[in-house]
Amino acid sequence: MTKVKICGLQETEHVKAAAGADAVGFVFAPSRRKVSVEQAARLAAELPESVERIGVFVNADLAEILEAIEKVPLTMVQLHGDETGDLIRSIPVKVIQAFSVRNQKDVGKLEQSIADYVLVDAPGIEYRGGSGRTFDWTLLEHAAIEPGRLIVAGGLDAGNVRGAIESTAPFMVDVSSGVERDGKKETDKIKEFIKTVKGDSMQQTKGTEKDNGFFGRFGGQFVPETLMRAVKELEEAYAEAKYDPEFQASYHSYLKEYVGREQPLTFAARLTEAWGGPRVYLKREDLNHTGAHKINNAIGQALLAIRMGKRKIVAETGAGQHGVATATICALLDLECVIFMGEEDIRRQQLNVFRMKLLGAKVESVTKGSATLKDAVNEALRYWVSNVGDTHYLIGSALGPHPFPTMVRDFQSVIGKETRKQILEKEGRLPDVILACVGGGSNAIGMFHPFVNDESVRLIGVEAAGEGVETNRHAATLTKGTEGVLHGAFMKLLQDENGQVQEAHSISAGLDYPGVGPEHVHLEDIGRVEYNAVTDEEALASVISLSRLEGIIPALESAHAVAEAEKAAAGMGPEEILIICVSGRGDKDMATYAEKLEGLA
Amino acid sequence: MKRLQTLKDDGGKAFVAYIMAGDGGLDRLRDQVEYLQGTGVTAIEIGIPFSDPVADGPVIEEAGNRALNEGVTLDKVLLEMKSWDFELKIPLIVMTYLNPVLRYGAERFAESCRDAGVSAVIIPDLPFEHQQLVAPYLKQAEITLIQLVTLTTTENRLHDILDAAEGFVYAVTVTGITGVRDELTEEVKEFMKTVRSKSPVPVYAGFGISKTEHIDLLRDDVDGFIVGSAIVKAFHDNKIEDIEPLIDAVTHSNPV
Repeated sequence: MTKVKICGLQETEHVKAAAGADAVGFVFAPSRRKVSVEQAARLAAELPESVERIGVFVNADLAEILEAIEKVPLTMVQLHGDETGDLIRSIPVKVIQAFSVRNQKDVGKLEQSIADYVLVDAPGIEYRGGSGRTFDWTLLEHAAIEPGRLIVAGGLDAGNVRGAIESTAPFMVDVSSGVERDGKKETDKIKEFIKTVKGDSMQQTKGTEKDNGFFGRFGGQFVPETLMRAVKELEEAYAEAKYDPEFQASYHSYLKEYVGREQPLTFAARLTEAWGGPRVYLKREDLNHTGAHKINNAIGQALLAIRMGKRKIVAETGAGQHGVATATICALLDLECVIFMGEEDIRRQQLNVFRMKLLGAKVESVTKGSATLKDAVNEALRYWVSNVGDTHYLIGSALGPHPFPTMVRDFQSVIGKETRKQILEKEGRLPDVILACVGGGSNAIGMFHPFVNDESVRLIGVEAAGEGVETNRHAATLTKGTEGVLHGAFMKLLQDENGQVQEAHSISAGLDYPGVGPEHVHLEDIGRVEYNAVTDEEALASVISLSRLEGIIPALESAHAVAEAEKAAAGMGPEEILIICVSGRGDKDMATYAEKLEGLA
Repeated sequence: MKRLQTLKDDGGKAFVAYIMAGDGGLDRLRDQVEYLQGTGVTAIEIGIPFSDPVADGPVIEEAGNRALNEGVTLDKVLLEMKSWDFELKIPLIVMTYLNPVLRYGAERFAESCRDAGVSAVIIPDLPFEHQQLVAPYLKQAEITLIQLVTLTTTENRLHDILDAAEGFVYAVTVTGITGVRDELTEEVKEFMKTVRSKSPVPVYAGFGISKTEHIDLLRDDVDGFIVGSAIVKAFHDNKIEDIEPLIDAVTHSNPV
């Protein structure tokens, strides 16, 4: 059902009338409808939780926008000026970019927008940001804009809004002057407009993610009381940092100057040809300093630890990529670093163990349980419990108690945000399919999150089927797991009928985990993302194809996404676009490749 | 559980003994419980083994792994307890991580605990905020959910948690995990005083209590002691008689 936004509210009475809408707008730019941040905060407090609070700005600076986000608080930001892509990327909530549409050239501009939504309006006269006139809706007929991203505004009222919806099938309609009389909002007109769009049902739609640490039914903070204070402190510290322009600037500066972002979205010409289906693009997280996406998160959390006054870091690692990323950033920022790693993984990933040591980290071998990632997390949690006063637990995936899954996702979302902008630049439209491998699921959630509301984009997470999901040697948690609590979150687990967590198996140490991030479980639960599993053997075959066709030796983890992509590509046409997140490079897996793929040459 | 309050009112100190169910085989559990009852402990905490016991130190974790290797499950422990026909004079408390409870079904868990004669339950990874998952079923089965407080519990939380406390409050004496320790700090003493002054029910100290010196240090500031790793280790080493002085140190000063 089309959503409704009532914009330019200034009075409590009108805000209450708009409670049946999906969103309300507060105008902070010069306009007769302008409100102060304090006014907006008071008005927003009158609204049900489910209504989006959108702040409207024209060429405001980031600090002003962030302040409003935090103080109102706003759940979305709408920009009507000449804001840059850099500014849009720095805004931590969903962004609507508004465009005045007079002709086909204007349509071209909005097609290039990297914002989450585009709002289409008729050109204003006195102020930027809405004129009260309708634009030519037919201009949008051939626009390369997903209907799921489109918001239609401009001269709408109860009389013409049905026509606008029929012509443009937008995600949302936006009204301001259409619910006013003599320049003032009118309660009856607001209600009538909402009723016209929504019919009589007035059904409220709910958001899929809440701020209390749950994604639908999944997530939470299931930790011993000894850790609750640390978890709550972290929750508060991150909530502040998220909206602090200095923190965000520092984080993005390290990504650029130290990690080497942004990373290319490489067109894979030979893979495209070989598969004979869609145009294939590779998001090159393998080019990051330290060789995988893990560093995006490690930098963010290390900066947060310093902000919290903590100079000691503990982390777990599976394949060693997160351990190396953490050890690297600890060296750079002069932090003490202890890494827990399963004995079995130490054996499989000796090169990364040496890297960590060379970088000055202390690597603790975990011999308990299956001696892999799960057991390393247990030990890291125990270490954190015992040293919680001066130590930050720098978790490596979108796992653990709230706020970790949200925080790790936010730090990794740079992957999806860049990809979105790059594909719009290259192809002028969104992709049809995106794939990423899922262990705990941090590269996947970072890639998927900026696309979750784009219904036309098929999102596929790829798990490790190990020796096959029909055997008991796999790590296919979403495919075969059941609901339960591990490491602080309610999620899906590989467990027996008595609730004992089972060992996972994958040739890839980074996917060898019997749980999966709670947001992934939610996205599966609501049917937004599909999750398939790929065997050790299939992944190894993809290592060869990507190496030989594109000259890119992928990490074993990433090879799982490549293998599933080949299957997805089989059903796709040449006009379609497929993106694979190459989460890391294969250097660390060379010993395994040498052993398993010997004789290739 | 009312006897715990009575003991406190009479000026006595409680000794709660923790054992890992099925360490050395589930058939040992009955003997262990009967033995401990005979030594005069106030209550017995029966631990359910779990694959990922993040709140426990190595002694209890290893005991749990031995029990898991014996095929011990939550269901089997509760059935074993249900079958007991000897006279139980002291409360039995089940300590389990949350996941086995969720898998078993929270409502069924509460009912089975009642049938097995369990008086109270401790779930270390079920924080106060999420207790609605289990608490209503336990209440219905008239089983007490024991609250934990720690040195790091903030004042506001302490207030809320103590407000909901029944039976006794489990006060964690260290910032770490369970296990045998050499020293307890003055900070612990102060913390115990604070909790005890605010708690509507007796306050027992646990995590790291293994020596009579620990008991002497805290005796005046708590209503009882919970001893886990030291007992689990003693049973495993077949030297449980070594633990009797520790039990005596607490219970012998009690008025008869």
